Amino acid sequence: MVQIIDLILPVMKVLVVEDNKELASSIQDYLAGEGYICELAYTFDAAREKLTMFTYDCILLDIMLPDGNGLHLLKVIKEEKISSGILIISAKNALDDKVTGLEDGADDYVTKPFHLPELHARLRAIFRRKKLDGSNLITFNEINLNTDTFEARINETVLNITRKEFELLLYFVVNKNRVLSRQSIAEHLWGDYTDNLANFDFVYQHVKNLRKKVSAANGGDYIETVYGLGYKFNASIYETGQ
Amino acid sequence: MKLVNKISLWFIAIFIMITPISMYIAYNGIKRELDKSEVERMKDVNDRVARQLTLGQKPDAYTQGHPIAITSVATLPSQKTDIITQSYINSNLKRRECKMFVNSYYKIGDNNYKISSYNFVTKSNQILSGMLGALIWKLLLVIGSMSIAARFLSKRLLASFRETMKVIHTFNLKQKEKIQLPQTSIKEFKELNSFVSKMTNKAMEDYASVKEFSENASHELQTPLAVIRSKLELLSETNINASQAQLIGDMHNAIDKLSRINRSLALLTKLDNQEFETDEDVKFCRIAKDALAVYDDWISLKNIEVTTHLDNNIALRIHKTLAEMLVSNLLSNAIRHNMEEGQMEVELTQRKLCVSNTGPAPEIPTKELFNRFKKSNQCDDSIGLGLAIVKQICEVNKFAINYRYQNGWHSVSVYFDKNDKELQSKMILDKEPHLV
Repeated sequence: MVQIIDLILPVMKVLVVEDNKELASSIQDYLAGEGYICELAYTFDAAREKLTMFTYDCILLDIMLPDGNGLHLLKVIKEEKISSGILIISAKNALDDKVTGLEDGADDYVTKPFHLPELHARLRAIFRRKKLDGSNLITFNEINLNTDTFEARINETVLNITRKEFELLLYFVVNKNRVLSRQSIAEHLWGDYTDNLANFDFVYQHVKNLRKKVSAANGGDYIETVYGLGYKFNASIYETGQ
Repeated sequence: MKLVNKISLWFIAIFIMITPISMYIAYNGIKRELDKSEVERMKDVNDRVARQLTLGQKPDAYTQGHPIAITSVATLPSQKTDIITQSYINSNLKRRECKMFVNSYYKIGDNNYKISSYNFVTKSNQILSGMLGALIWKLLLVIGSMSIAARFLSKRLLASFRETMKVIHTFNLKQKEKIQLPQTSIKEFKELNSFVSKMTNKAMEDYASVKEFSENASHELQTPLAVIRSKLELLSETNINASQAQLIGDMHNAIDKLSRINRSLALLTKLDNQEFETDEDVKFCRIAKDALAVYDDWISLKNIEVTTHLDNNIALRIHKTLAEMLVSNLLSNAIRHNMEEGQMEVELTQRKLCVSNTGPAPEIPTKELFNRFKKSNQCDDSIGLGLAIVKQICEVNKFAINYRYQNGWHSVSVYFDKNDKELQSKMILDKEPHLV
């Protein structure tokens, strides 16, 4: 039953509204790698046009567009009752609370310069809430994660892991087969506080502990170290072996 | 010295300098007039006596009781009259007297006569002493009226100047409204006012544009940074070898640092801008506890022993994000600059937050610790803006901050009241208070 949810995960359609073409293409590349359908709109008008013609599961919305404010587009989306999830991309941070757009109906926001895995994780979270009726179960092979209770199981064994370790495992599973830099992991786990966390030794500590706990519960050792860079959740590690 | 006093002094000095000259002129005038009238009077008497002589009458009518002497002389001098003044000492009065003789010469019939009268005249030093007496009164009057008038005038004339000074004094580059200077009819003050308002307006404009520039610049930088970061992430997905991975990792580090510096600078600009007004109280104790929880990992990684003393129900009027930033910056600082297996103390009371940690003595003057990009340890991975941000947050919220290093302990205290008594006493104790 639990595994089915992952299988029936429909193809996500995403509209990226971002005036910077390089950044937009990076996002498109990354999301295409996840098998999503990703369309780009570089301007306010182009975005509006696309929105009237197609429906999207999620919209990535840059606040600062050359021909208009992204927040206006957000208003349009709300007025026309478009049910897409909205993830704001902003150059401003939590202190500019008025621009986060959360009060205006956006589901979440990321601050530039964001990490692509982070963007993806947030997008998936929105998608889960919107499309899967708030399904809180994420499954990969023997790993089951409940995002409501923060409970992780390997097959039926409940893992005794901390909240941070749970989030780390979730981040890995969502971004499986991706190289996750230490910076990206640190920022995902500690958010704004990473500004002050000078070294990434404890990313290493957390990953080490997590691997130990998963192995102890007879889970597969999916997490690989990419030397000098970070880690990778290698989903295909056992496919050839078994 | 006050302008009024200076002007008054100059005035009095000039008055005193002119006084001898004016006295000399006045004295001469008075003396001349006195003598002249006396001479004329005596001449007239002499003339009458001469007329009587001419008529053959006895000049008794005038000579009696009058010191008039009639003598005959051989020849008439070229001048009809001569005047002789003579001073002598009156032994009765024991003072000098001045006698003036007027001799008139007449030819009456065949005889030449000299009719001589004399009288006592006012002596020059008597006039002088009278004038001096008047002078003292005059001086007193002048000084008195000057000082009263000066005070009054300065109140009236310098009022607009004072007002301008007050406006300049309270002027703040960050204020939003232009300054309002008082109207005045005095040309100099008008010039001053127009100059001051021009200057302050220019300064405010420049400040606003610099502020806008730095804010825009840091926001504009975020997008290229996002591009680089995303491209690096895509690059690391490709088939790379270990040394390439290392290179990408190093680049990630640099971008991370760049983005942190950028964000911190943007924050400092915003703080400068005082954009964090709030009308909600924040539970500071809650924030401190949360922040401590966040750093739990790091603390245990460094094996730091933490002692906390957190009072409950501490509500402060501060923007929530700023409060979080303040606490987390102080805590991370205390952890970063701590040694392995070191100690750390966090104390939160109604009046202050004090974070102390063990660690090596600071290498730079402690005053500079709160400056931007000042680091005690240059090879450290921090960006050197943490304490600058802390200081700025304190300034914005009118907190006072105090740093001291004692017996191997660094401690940073944030006093929620700028005029805290304990802080004042500490400043007296410290010969060189590191108050910022």
